[in-house]
Amino acid sequence: MGVSLHSENSLTRFIRWIYTGVERTIFMGLKFTLPSRFVSPLGFLGMLTFVIFIILGITGALLMLFYEPILDRAWNSVQTINDVIPYGFHLRNIHYHGSNAMVMVALLHMYYQYFSGRYKIRNEILWVTGIIIGVLTILEAFTGYDIIFSERAELAISIAASLTNSIPIMGPQMRDAFFGSGFHDFVLRFYAFHVFFLPIAMLGLMVVHFPRFLVFDVPMVMAITGAIMLTGGVFPVDMGLKFDPNVPPGITVPEWYLTGLYAFLRSAYDKFTTGVAWPGLFIFALLIVPFIDRYKKFSWKDRPIITAIGITSLAQIIVTTYWGFYIDPDRTKSLLERLVIDPVFLYLVMILLVPLSFGFTYMMIKLAKNAEANAKIQPKKQAGKNSINLSERWIYAIFIALLAFQVYLNIAAYYAVLSGMKNYSLFIVGIMMLVFAGMFHVFRHGRSMQKAPPPKPTIPPMTMKAKTPSLTKTGGPAATEVTASTKALGDSAAKEKTLAPSTKGSTSSPQSVQSVTKTESTGATHNEKQLVADDK
Amino acid sequence: MAQQPSPTSGGKVSRRDFMKLLAAAGTVMTFAVFVDWGKFLPNPTGQSKERQIVELPDGSQANVKTFPVNHSEAIIYPKTDDPTLNKEAFRAWQFIRLPEELGGKKNDVSAFRLFSMVCLHLWCLWKYWPQEGRKRGECPCHGSMYDPVTGKAFAGPAGLQAPPNNVLPRLDLELAADGNISIKPPNWSVNGNGIVGYGRFLT
Repeated sequence: MGVSLHSENSLTRFIRWIYTGVERTIFMGLKFTLPSRFVSPLGFLGMLTFVIFIILGITGALLMLFYEPILDRAWNSVQTINDVIPYGFHLRNIHYHGSNAMVMVALLHMYYQYFSGRYKIRNEILWVTGIIIGVLTILEAFTGYDIIFSERAELAISIAASLTNSIPIMGPQMRDAFFGSGFHDFVLRFYAFHVFFLPIAMLGLMVVHFPRFLVFDVPMVMAITGAIMLTGGVFPVDMGLKFDPNVPPGITVPEWYLTGLYAFLRSAYDKFTTGVAWPGLFIFALLIVPFIDRYKKFSWKDRPIITAIGITSLAQIIVTTYWGFYIDPDRTKSLLERLVIDPVFLYLVMILLVPLSFGFTYMMIKLAKNAEANAKIQPKKQAGKNSINLSERWIYAIFIALLAFQVYLNIAAYYAVLSGMKNYSLFIVGIMMLVFAGMFHVFRHGRSMQKAPPPKPTIPPMTMKAKTPSLTKTGGPAATEVTASTKALGDSAAKEKTLAPSTKGSTSSPQSVQSVTKTESTGATHNEKQLVADDK
Repeated sequence: MAQQPSPTSGGKVSRRDFMKLLAAAGTVMTFAVFVDWGKFLPNPTGQSKERQIVELPDGSQANVKTFPVNHSEAIIYPKTDDPTLNKEAFRAWQFIRLPEELGGKKNDVSAFRLFSMVCLHLWCLWKYWPQEGRKRGECPCHGSMYDPVTGKAFAGPAGLQAPPNNVLPRLDLELAADGNISIKPPNWSVNGNGIVGYGRFLT
């Protein structure tokens, strides 16, 4: 069965040559892990954010071929992309929903790191750069939806410019420097920021931000991509109305990641305080969190004050985000009445959320500690094993079914494009990615289940070399014998990983290297907990 | 080094520190010149200081003798040869001859006003409504209203904004002997003619 995949030929040798060459580069310091089983995506949300960033880079670069950042053409060129250019609709939707996904995943990433206390143990630089990248991500998304130059974009630009203008002392100069003068400049400059200045700054910061241990989980990456496409198919982004300064705009709200800020702006209080000082204070507070968190422990349960502050910020973000969206539907009232939020009411709610969140946190910690104590008393259940155990035959059956489904989806997507059902085809492509994610998961599962060829004793490499042929030939019966030894091997698997390069050097046969990797993948099922711990 | 006495008698700065100081000064001097390069960022074409005639949409120059009382036209300033740039809202100005009761009968520049059409609220384009009972600038978007004499917003969301964000930028006019009207070179600042889209202080 997979023998041909492991044979040596010029191509595999070339790939290996490149792979060893890469060790001389900056990637030497990075440790990529392709998890051999399902691991919680919470631990590698940062990697997912980066993957979405790459997706955005690719789709954005393609959109640049048709987008024209010119006052009277910007909106029309987006319309051309959307309606005329083949697959323009698809790319635009992936780009739009990808941007939302990136902001969302980045936020989840931040809060996960926050509550798990990962910003400690000399990870402060990672945290601080992460916050800056997060701010740039929001600016990037903001400039992106502005250069469509629809009504909503114009409102967003005018608010951004007036906020910049409201900064004391340097404000007007900054406005002139960043925005230029007039709509023509705004579109062109926001475009320049969107496609070059901000992404390049983000990439630079990412070099600093990347930790040395990275998890690249193919099924999860594919699932995220599929989810973005699927969302694009179900909720295709609209064009908005072209901005015309003589036509009253409808009531629009900004994208969801800015409605929180918009709620404060709508309180019609001083522009600088609500629009610059509050978000600035929030970002500053996030930046200094690792330096004020003096708890010696990591878990959220052991850092009550920090957890409570985090819960408070979450509660306030959720409430203001919703509030920013909410506009009194009563059309008999004047626009101003519908839009303006009473500042006393707003700030009162914000203050009220603080004790509520602290109380909630206290309760959660209490409950969690109780549950922990109860778990210690009761005997452990034997639920640690993988719940799904498919036989090899079933794995093949599932594979063939998934493949058939993919063929069907391919045809469906093709026909959908032919008949002009763009969002339907995008939806199908999303499903296809999800099916691929499932397929890869099954493949991974099947590979880790595979007992033959059995893992060989890899230390010392000389003896293993001798044993190799007999074991692979005997197959089945030998496998049962060796599985017993995998447990012991599994423990050393982690050590072998670091040993691998040296073994590669000492043994001339490439088979030994493969057997090392093989041991890793098979040993992983037995030793999953330790490996996962290693990833962390 | 700490135990060593300073090589120069009585001097408080060691040679090494002095070198460092020189190097720092050199670095500062090297890069100081680039501070002024920040002027690259603002767009100078939007800060035009040229004298320009008041060119009406039909191509003629506005004249005191022919321009009707209580009437307005949209003009472009600074005007370019590029039709796209001429469509720019930030170049749109409302040229108003005031109604009779506000002094529009006079045959000098005091009867005329030239305000930026960009509403100070959210940058829609307002215009002058000469009808009886209105005689004011009105923005179609959120109903801000402007006093045609001063350019001050007296109603609507723009009226709620703090100075200088509640008074329209205004260009100064001058009259030739034949009655033709031109625009004086402006001073683009909140204390001068104002900043388009952001307003000015009423002096």
